[in-house]
Amino acid sequence: MDKNPVPSTPQKTRFGWAKKIPLDSQTLLLLGVFIVLFIFFSVANDRFFTVRSVRSMSYQLPEIGVLSLAMMITILVGGINLSVNATSNMAAVIAGFFMVKLIPADASSQVVGLYMALAILVALLIGVLCGVLNGILVGYIGVPPILATLATFTLYTGISTGLTGGKTVTGFPDQFAKIGSTTVLGVPLPFIIFVLLALAISILIQRTTFGFKARMMGSNPVAATFSGIDNPSMIMKIFIISGVLSAVTGILTMSRTMSAAYEYGTTTFVLLTILISVLANILPGFGSVLNIFVAVLILQIISTGFNMLLTGVSGGTFFKDFSWGVLMILIFITNYFIRRRRQTES
Amino acid sequence: MLKKIIRTNEFVVFLILVGLSLVVGLINPAFFAISTLFDILRGSIVYFIMAFGLLPIIIAGGVDISFVAIAAFTSYATHMFLLSRGYQGGLFLYFLIAGGLGLLAGLLNAFLVTRFKLPVFDVSLATFTMWYGFTLFFVGATANFDLPKPTVGYYENFLMVAQDPVSGQTGLHVSILYVLVIGLVVWWFLKYTTIGRGVYAIGGNKDVAVRSGFNINRIMMIIFALMGILASVAGVTQAFLNRFFNPVVFIGNPLDVIAAVILGGAAITGGRGTVIGTAMGVVLIQLINRALIITGIPVEWQKLVVGIILVIFTSLPALRERRARRMGRTTELAQ
Repeated sequence: MDKNPVPSTPQKTRFGWAKKIPLDSQTLLLLGVFIVLFIFFSVANDRFFTVRSVRSMSYQLPEIGVLSLAMMITILVGGINLSVNATSNMAAVIAGFFMVKLIPADASSQVVGLYMALAILVALLIGVLCGVLNGILVGYIGVPPILATLATFTLYTGISTGLTGGKTVTGFPDQFAKIGSTTVLGVPLPFIIFVLLALAISILIQRTTFGFKARMMGSNPVAATFSGIDNPSMIMKIFIISGVLSAVTGILTMSRTMSAAYEYGTTTFVLLTILISVLANILPGFGSVLNIFVAVLILQIISTGFNMLLTGVSGGTFFKDFSWGVLMILIFITNYFIRRRRQTES
Repeated sequence: MLKKIIRTNEFVVFLILVGLSLVVGLINPAFFAISTLFDILRGSIVYFIMAFGLLPIIIAGGVDISFVAIAAFTSYATHMFLLSRGYQGGLFLYFLIAGGLGLLAGLLNAFLVTRFKLPVFDVSLATFTMWYGFTLFFVGATANFDLPKPTVGYYENFLMVAQDPVSGQTGLHVSILYVLVIGLVVWWFLKYTTIGRGVYAIGGNKDVAVRSGFNINRIMMIIFALMGILASVAGVTQAFLNRFFNPVVFIGNPLDVIAAVILGGAAITGGRGTVIGTAMGVVLIQLINRALIITGIPVEWQKLVVGIILVIFTSLPALRERRARRMGRTTELAQ
């Protein structure tokens, strides 16, 4: 969306150095911020750095992390996907109905397992379909992505609302909670899924022809067309990936809360994923998954850290929103000075 | 002349408005009543004000979402301050204080955008989060129903009253007058002032605007200040229309307002947009909502219908444009 409304001079130089340095300065800056915050919270509160709190963070963070990947990949090609959260809710609601309505009451645990696998497939399929519609609107019809996905955000939310009648879907088989609660060597499964998906997306963007084409299209769609890249089909594929990632978030959320609702995280999650992408300095054509990962970590420790410090203070849970905003502005300003120094150096 | 009018985006929006009204009216003739008009206008008032504030920013090629947070912060903070002082006067002081705060909040956005060369959207996302967080943590997190006595009757201060057999008495609320004044001022500003023309110039091509001698920074300051003031006016108006102050008011609405401006024919890429089109965009969204109720579509399916309508309405202009330039078309993703 409006990442770069008019190509102005500073933006170009921003692209310039991003190309030269493999580990861009944004990663270092974010890591620095992360370490400072981590030390601050550990000193300020002795309950902060404990196995229990780290574990609880690693349960909460994968959902928003995977959703941020879904957002990031569309920003990378110069678009945006406002329907990520609506897609994940719709996938969860339909997969939820699939399990609640179809699993026979007397099914053995193996049969239930089979149905669960099918339900996950159904959710992923919904993700694909949601991506296809976005892809048609943006890629083939040419609707600006912010508008197209705003419309589908309403549409997908509308489908979930209609199907559930505004109620929360519950009553999944107990085994379904295992996706969210299983640990491998002490690490929660959702966190492993997030890391694996982040790695996969990173490889896709940095190491494959597809990723190269996508980045090229993001930085200059006109040049990409003349280089023989089929932009509409690229956009379609990107939105399908975004839809599938959103559906994965839906499955994770569903398993952790053991419920599916049309209104889960409406609007705030979408804005949060954009916030993470902006914090990670994702621009059309440029962006690293590692930055997304660190940005998610930063947001999570700010949220957990201030919640711990401010328990009992009225409105304490909202201090994190304020500090997210302030932190973003500070990072923007720091970036500006880094950029300017590089300019004068070169 | 006539041909020129027919070709505009605004005319298409107008046709859609008329067409939709006719369809709804055929399904349920009760729709054609003066009370329906008053209802739609009442529902539109705060959206008109916010959309008029947002329009110049969109024309200048930026997308802002922080205006809703500014509306919530300024109105709620003003109210809590006046309440703690035991204020028992009218609305004027509310508009004055909130407007002043809104002005400052708008200027903060403009400062960050111009001084640090940042995209409008990124800055507004940060200030959106910051202002809601600030309000909820430092000012208060609960809705307040304790209004000053002289303002209590304001919500039913009607210019005109219509009797309706179904919904009872409805009226044309007096605040529609501010909307008219604000609309005229913004229209005049965009059409007849040098700075207003500069707004279009920036949205059309920033480099050319700079070389033509427009002072971009000053123009950005002015349009953001305007946005901040109008957001706070909308926030205060909203509170008195509903008789309570809500610290998270509009938190889910920034995209609705943007959609209204864009449906009204403004280009999200900048350089195009009019006050009259924006006003019709706002009415269109309200009309769709009203139409859903009046045609008897079950509540839980209404959002789906809105979604389908939005998908169609956003595709139509794109299809039109696509046909217009079949030759050498490239996907316009870089919005």
